[in-house]
Amino acid sequence: MLQANALYSYYGKSPIIQNVSFNVRPGDFVSILGRNGVGKTTLLRTIIGLTSRTEGELNFDGADLARMSTADRAFHGIAYVPQGREVIPRFTVRENLVMGTYARRDGKRTVPDYIFELFPVLKQSIGRRGGDLSGGQQQQLAIGRALAMEPKILLLDEPTEGIQPNIVKQIEDIIIRLNREMGLTIILVEQNISFARRASEQFIILDKGRVALSGRADELTDEISRKHLSF
Amino acid sequence: MDSVLNQVFAGLSMASILLIVALGLAIIYGAMGVINLAHGEFVMLGAYSAWFLQEQFGLGILVALPVIFLMVAVVGWLVERGVVRWLYHRPLDTILATWGIGIVLQQLVRLGIGPESRYVARPEILDGNVILGGLVMANYRIFLIAFSAAVLVGTWYLLTRTEFGTKLRAIIQNKEISECYGIRPERVYALTFAYGAGLAGIAGALITPLVSVTPGMGTYVVVDAFLVVIVGGVGSLIGTAVASGLVGTASAAFSFLLNDTLGRVALLLAIILLIRFRPMGLFPDKVRR
Repeated sequence: MLQANALYSYYGKSPIIQNVSFNVRPGDFVSILGRNGVGKTTLLRTIIGLTSRTEGELNFDGADLARMSTADRAFHGIAYVPQGREVIPRFTVRENLVMGTYARRDGKRTVPDYIFELFPVLKQSIGRRGGDLSGGQQQQLAIGRALAMEPKILLLDEPTEGIQPNIVKQIEDIIIRLNREMGLTIILVEQNISFARRASEQFIILDKGRVALSGRADELTDEISRKHLSF
Repeated sequence: MDSVLNQVFAGLSMASILLIVALGLAIIYGAMGVINLAHGEFVMLGAYSAWFLQEQFGLGILVALPVIFLMVAVVGWLVERGVVRWLYHRPLDTILATWGIGIVLQQLVRLGIGPESRYVARPEILDGNVILGGLVMANYRIFLIAFSAAVLVGTWYLLTRTEFGTKLRAIIQNKEISECYGIRPERVYALTFAYGAGLAGIAGALITPLVSVTPGMGTYVVVDAFLVVIVGGVGSLIGTAVASGLVGTASAAFSFLLNDTLGRVALLLAIILLIRFRPMGLFPDKVRR
């Protein structure tokens, strides 16, 4: 579904992602792990097209992503939920959700009902401004906005970072349900190893912009985590 | 007393024109951060379009307005696609570039059509006056006030109630994430620029019965429009509306009380004082980005 082969990605002249290859199949749940500053976020931004330049192959459903604008990638079904959520602060919850539908190929502008079943809080605060919501509510809104475009693949960047603990578990469970029950392909950038282990089938550990290790989630032992992920 | 009222009314009708010009400026600046110094020339092109359509096809201003809007909007679209879009990462350079475009447009008109003044007839249907006691209100000026209010409401509707407006507001707040949801900024920017230019064109057409049409006419209008945008506070429709009313009537009042030249000086002094105490204008954008 999503293949990278010898992928390099640049900010200005600095290659942040170097010689990365991976293959994500439909229905996969892949976690990208690693210490701070190793290029996890940059890898997601490379997939959606927000870095200055890439080299190497990046294909999605047979289409060459590397030549496409960010908007075109969205139209191909790639949804990106960035770190820090980035809901539009002066848009209402409704406007933020409708904005998600702008990337739909069928041109429909209706927000699917199941999003409100997953996140009842969005229904309750439908007329409030995005910027007035709590961190946890904003994260639910950001995921809801991404789902509103009916994506084929969901890119999540630290979805539980900086969120009140009682909501963290709820969001984690919903992310797992999206993959297991609805078959949505997910790539997750995460610092929280136990969630990554619980949620994903595969993992990729990055170090200095390169793949240090990858494998099935059940192979992600404490020893590996100590070696590659602790400070 | 009557003469004061008459002055205020005349001021308001000029303020209406000013409002349409300033709306275009404010939208272009608010959306793209571009200070469009060619805006006065868009006004001038609108005036010449009105003259041309009347001269060649006998079209009155009112019938020609939609055509004029489209003609000047196309010019604006070409300017954005041809020049301005290359300079979004260098906002200061857009000042120089749009100034240059303004000069080129002005000289093209001067060479192609000639430097002499042109006259456009007022629509006959709006001849006549409404008289209230000592206040004599020309129908055409009443129409200007009503029309500019309609343009204001229409622009508000476009920005807040349509998909185009929502996309534009999304880009203004977070361009990167907007792209991630399928919004193409280059398209939205080009259309926004075209819309602002089209508004200037309409204003240029509407002003033709009141002033003579010359290649340099835009400069005078655009200076006042910039004052309006500064006084109103950037990015605020309501601020632009209130400020154009203030600047328009204050300009008329000062000219009446002093004379045209001293009135100008007094107006500029008043605005400098205002900016000293309210640097962000009357209606600043208070929400955090």
